[in-house]
Amino acid sequence: MEHGDVNVIYSVEHQLPLIMYIGQYFFFTGLSAGSFVISVIATLLGRKEFKPIGKITALLAPALLIIAPLNLILDLEQPLRFWHLFVYYNWTSPITYGSFLLTAYPIMGIIYAVMVYTDRQKLAKIFGILGIPLAISVHGYTGFILALAKARSLWNTAAMPTIFLVSAMVSGIGLVVIIAAVRYKWFDKAATPETRETDKKLILQLAQFMAYVIMLDLFLILSDILVLLTAHSDAYEAGMLILTGNFALLFVGVEIILGSFLPIFLILGPKMRNSLTAVVVASILVNIGVYAMRFVMVIGGQTVPLS
Amino acid sequence: MAKKRYAMVIDIRRCIGCHACTVACKAEMAVPLEVNATWLKIVEKGRFPDARRFVLPRLCNNCDDAICARNCPTQATYKREDGIVMVDQHRCIGCKYCIASCPYDVRYINPLKNIVQKCYFCSHRVDAGLEPACVETCPTRAMVFGDMNDTKSEVAQIMASNATVVLKKEMQTNPQVHYIAPDETAMSNVEKEINYYTEGTIIKLKI
Repeated sequence: MEHGDVNVIYSVEHQLPLIMYIGQYFFFTGLSAGSFVISVIATLLGRKEFKPIGKITALLAPALLIIAPLNLILDLEQPLRFWHLFVYYNWTSPITYGSFLLTAYPIMGIIYAVMVYTDRQKLAKIFGILGIPLAISVHGYTGFILALAKARSLWNTAAMPTIFLVSAMVSGIGLVVIIAAVRYKWFDKAATPETRETDKKLILQLAQFMAYVIMLDLFLILSDILVLLTAHSDAYEAGMLILTGNFALLFVGVEIILGSFLPIFLILGPKMRNSLTAVVVASILVNIGVYAMRFVMVIGGQTVPLS
Repeated sequence: MAKKRYAMVIDIRRCIGCHACTVACKAEMAVPLEVNATWLKIVEKGRFPDARRFVLPRLCNNCDDAICARNCPTQATYKREDGIVMVDQHRCIGCKYCIASCPYDVRYINPLKNIVQKCYFCSHRVDAGLEPACVETCPTRAMVFGDMNDTKSEVAQIMASNATVVLKKEMQTNPQVHYIAPDETAMSNVEKEINYYTEGTIIKLKI
């Protein structure tokens, strides 16, 4: 219709409840959980060349998880009442699981980091294995926060926690690759040429692993979009919003093309093989892509009108 | 005495779109500027001279299975015995998860108190034996409020003898604000194509 024969003359829309603090929080917990898992894998494999990466990531995981909940507290309308979460908990709310997980996981992470740094291998392995379910749930529950808010069709999907976990893995590995490359370039001069060679090989292997996880992420996003487009009218609206609407540039442009396809090409492309620069650029792009994904999910999910 | 279950029936055929309920609510509940606990959604359909205006009074549905109460992490949002969904203003931390979860967009942040608020069916008036402010103000008696479990109450009798619908039934929230003869486009939140008949021709509309 050239001009509407049906016009909404007046209605009330209230402001967006969740702003980017929440997306940022998701991003930081994702980084933390991803680097914790990498660290524990390095510790469990126990090979000598994995040690430096295991150490860096063991420190990163709790550090990032101390920054992350600050975003949550800043987002509260009544920040000084945050302790209500622990005193008046409600077991049917995913935020309640979160507030206890967010307390338990950094403690476990710090214990694990102490074990790694004091070189108590056996204890580090035990605490690492105990910490992995915590790391997975601390990020997995953020997917449930969105999935269980049933009003928003972009969020209300069973794939949401898995998408969050996989994208956390992607961004976590990306961060580890960047840090390991920085260490290789500037802080590793004393090492012998052989250890430098194994370090470089390790970084490239990590990046290749990341490329495969990005492929898994892309598959999950594809299945999510396909279901959105064939489900009820709200879901269709949400799917079109991120495919062709206001969030298309961020979703298709930044998240899918810049943050997924280009990194896969940079890492696995035949010409770029063995190039540390390409791998680092890919890791930066991946993290920008995952940040964009958090933005599209949190803010985009709320822009489909409800009334 | 049997448990009370408060509910509201809004007869759109009687509603004249005067906004008196909006004003009464603002005054009674001290609702600040920019936000509304009760409002009218107004939709205009058709082209002159075949035009018509449809209204839909909106307020919190005080759902039986309220997703806001289930998702509130501090139990600040809770259901009273009589079915009214309340927000404890001293316990609310303003995490806004209830607003994100509510399918009806009826919750808001009070910019003066920095907590989440909504319509409580004027619980303080109901406790004192009065009707909610919007119901008492409505000049055409389009809004009727009462105890659904009392078969002699006006609301139960209207419910028993009229075809009623609720908003977004598919959300499984069991809303307790029921509408008689609301317009479908006024109830819907998303754009979709419908066939509109005027002067013997079918026009495809995007609404």
